[in-house]
Amino acid sequence: MRSKLGYLLFLLLAFSVSLSAQIDPIPNLPVQPIPLPGGDILPPYGLFNQFFPGPPNATPFPFDPINADPQGITNFRGVTAMGYTSGMTDDKQFVVITDIRVYQGEYIGGETADAVNTAGATRSAHAHGTFVEI
Amino acid sequence: MKVPDSAVQITDDSLTIHLTNVPVVDAFTFPPPTQDVPGISPFQLIPATVSFDITYTKTGNRRTIRPGSDDPLSPLNWAGKMWDARNHGTFSVRYNNNSFSESGTFDSVSSSGVNFGEMGTERNGVFVSREEEDGNNDEQEEAQSSLPLKPTQTNQVAATGTAKPAAKWVLLKGRVPVKVTH
Repeated sequence: MRSKLGYLLFLLLAFSVSLSAQIDPIPNLPVQPIPLPGGDILPPYGLFNQFFPGPPNATPFPFDPINADPQGITNFRGVTAMGYTSGMTDDKQFVVITDIRVYQGEYIGGETADAVNTAGATRSAHAHGTFVEI
Repeated sequence: MKVPDSAVQITDDSLTIHLTNVPVVDAFTFPPPTQDVPGISPFQLIPATVSFDITYTKTGNRRTIRPGSDDPLSPLNWAGKMWDARNHGTFSVRYNNNSFSESGTFDSVSSSGVNFGEMGTERNGVFVSREEEDGNNDEQEEAQSSLPLKPTQTNQVAATGTAKPAAKWVLLKGRVPVKVTH
């Protein structure tokens, strides 16, 4: 049971939470950040709008180049911090691996240009924000 | 997700983030299946919350990143000043139905080595293309500088900004104040 839960926790923190690491729509945010246009193509999923910078020759899964953009948002200028973490649960039963990134700065995103006469068509807008990808 | 500016504290050489009860979902696989796949699915999302504190700390020398490509899809189409960074922190996670919970600590340094991390300032997208065309970018302005990232640095940028009131893309040349919480 514990090994099953350990696997579960690993997936929760290393995988499914990283799923949220891709910039998703943010409810009620007037200026929506725009995901990177590029990213990694991960079969069978498709294009994941995020790079995974890291050192060369990593195994079993290679990283992107160490100077790959660590951002998840495009049209961004500001502070970026990211890191692959590893650790243990307090009961020493489970290994935890995560990828958590923090961004704070200005960005050009999309806002609704005309909510009355369109379905919500966007226009570019300048905003400031702090974002975290877990 | 967007978080309050106050969740992040920036010092000369570190960035700390504190978040409590962040809603997440457990999708069990990454990348998530787009439909039920034998052996991988059924596609199931379990609502959960995560709380954590993490501190990223600069190490080593600054890397000055200049755009290595003008392809908008390239991982090298950005610019910035980055340092390798180590991290450490604490976390807790709990399913919303309370069927599972755990807490613990993490660190970029482990018995198996040092995990990669980095921090600094960067710009991408229109902030790269526009400023490269204008020859107005931080890397040229501060090419020889070894100053670390400081909260006052971002304020200084704001104070010397050249924002213009005109609309359209002129806005892109403006620099807005970046609120830094101590």
